[in-house]
Amino acid sequence: MSIEVRGVGKRYGDFVALDDINVSLPTGQLTALLGPSGGGKSTLLRIIAGLESADSGSVDIEGVDATKLPPQKRNVGFVFQHYAVFKHMTVAKNVAFGLEIRKRPKAEVKAKVAELLELVHLSQFAHRLPSQLSGGQRQRLALARALAVEPSVLLLDEPFGALDAQVRKELREWLRRLHDEVHVTTVFVTHDQEEALEVADEIVVINQGRIEQIGTPDQLYDEPANDFVMGFLGAVTRLGPLRLRPHDIEVAVSPGVPGSTPGVVQRALRVGFEVRLTVDVPGQEEPVLVVLSRTHARALDLELGSRVWLSPTTGATAVSVLGLARPEVVSA
Amino acid sequence: MAETSLRARRGPVTYLLRTFVLAYLAVLVVWPLWEVASRTFAPLEQGAEAGLGAFLERLQDPSVTYAFGLTATCAFWAVVINTVFGVGISLLLTRYRFPGRRVLSVLVDIPMSVSPVVVGLALVLAYSSGQGWFGGVLESAGIFIIGSTPGMIMATAFVSLPLVIREVVPVLEEIGTDAELAASSLGANGWQTFRRITLPSIKWAVVYGVVLSLARSLGEFGAVKIVSPGAELRGETATILIQNRYTNFEEPTAYAAAFVLVLASVLALVVVSLIRKEDRS
Repeated sequence: MSIEVRGVGKRYGDFVALDDINVSLPTGQLTALLGPSGGGKSTLLRIIAGLESADSGSVDIEGVDATKLPPQKRNVGFVFQHYAVFKHMTVAKNVAFGLEIRKRPKAEVKAKVAELLELVHLSQFAHRLPSQLSGGQRQRLALARALAVEPSVLLLDEPFGALDAQVRKELREWLRRLHDEVHVTTVFVTHDQEEALEVADEIVVINQGRIEQIGTPDQLYDEPANDFVMGFLGAVTRLGPLRLRPHDIEVAVSPGVPGSTPGVVQRALRVGFEVRLTVDVPGQEEPVLVVLSRTHARALDLELGSRVWLSPTTGATAVSVLGLARPEVVSA
Repeated sequence: MAETSLRARRGPVTYLLRTFVLAYLAVLVVWPLWEVASRTFAPLEQGAEAGLGAFLERLQDPSVTYAFGLTATCAFWAVVINTVFGVGISLLLTRYRFPGRRVLSVLVDIPMSVSPVVVGLALVLAYSSGQGWFGGVLESAGIFIIGSTPGMIMATAFVSLPLVIREVVPVLEEIGTDAELAASSLGANGWQTFRRITLPSIKWAVVYGVVLSLARSLGEFGAVKIVSPGAELRGETATILIQNRYTNFEEPTAYAAAFVLVLASVLALVVVSLIRKEDRS
């Protein structure tokens, strides 16, 4: 285990930021700490990095008790949401910083910087100042700088949070590829479930200072431990006694399937390739949300006021509204 | 957009305002200073010589060179002390949370609001050998603060203390701690982080504060006057010299010294505006 967090707690006055956190992050993996803002995930990351101290508990990095070590002795790379590049230094100088602090020979520093700039595709910008780079380039620079000191773990705090959607998507894929290349144990914090599902090997869901669930993206999506995880990983709607995902609802224009729920289409919103329906169901206060592909919607010839019959798809992940702890899989 | 439309509007009110502001500045600043300059080179007093040569000659009087030398010494040490402590206190105020932080922040501003004369009196009360709290102890150690150069340096430093801090604190707050934390996670210790990351970021604010402190220190009168013996060639700084000569009917020398101080502050203003430009680029 590369990082071992045991019983970590942190308070800010009355506010409990972290409450008895226990988690092991295996070597070489890409782990996401996922959760809503203010849930404690960034605090946990900063405690692992030593930028903040825990009130209780311990942190081991690569088998060494790092609880009391200052950040500069932990050999971790840290990447901030707002890049934290050194504005007065050139791109190359930024990357060289950690190596120069370690008093490595000049030739070695030069070679390493060139190698890293190559890796993050910034070679042609080596002599520019960070102010001449775009947001995405700055974040790649920050990554190269963190990797330069060959950290035992790489920690990223909402690394793509300040970038626009397009760049974020690109960098996300790029981070995944980079990780497959360099294989350094990586932990990144995000509040974007899509980002976590797409990039991470393992996801730790943190909410209100507590870990809700740890698992692979598939486990989390298919077998959410509770209502919160299910709701956080994607849209959730209610159909009769079940809570399930809007795309897990089958729509029919005739009462064919036994036990299906009749309703009336109140609203149909087209977003790109999908159609989002709001269906009023008698005897249920909140309307049911249904998502289906545009092709499917067209085939059914749906319009406002259409009568439809709804039923959960075979194999849908659903949680009983009455609060069953384990999700159940709807059988045919 | 609003700003441009405001600037573009040119009615009678605009011209009236402009005339008023210019007249105000002329009456309050330009005309009096012009008088100092013209009296420097063309004194009205009987028997006083006019011209650049006479001006330079007056400045070469031993008591005048002594006074400017003393002013320079006081200003230099006060600025050195305030730069070191100013940056230190600024870091303390912005980078650490401790009980009494806000009190310290207010205390730092006191020299700006308290009259310099009061500052001088306070120093006398604390350090004079007769009645001062520390004076007796220091005297027995052979150190005299009041009535000597250290006391005048202290008075000058006290008065110009907030200038560096008030320039540096906002910049430190603006740049935040991310870059410093990044440096420490890359292996830099506290001093390395300060030297290589923090200091380059606040460089211009420090220089700006130093120039302001220097200008303030060169012109300090009230506080220094109280702690200084204030006699010719004995604790007489440039400002005290101006006062003494003026009251002793040696106005031409007073004007000459005053003109040099005006030149110094104009120079400081030019430097400051150049720094501003540099800082923005």
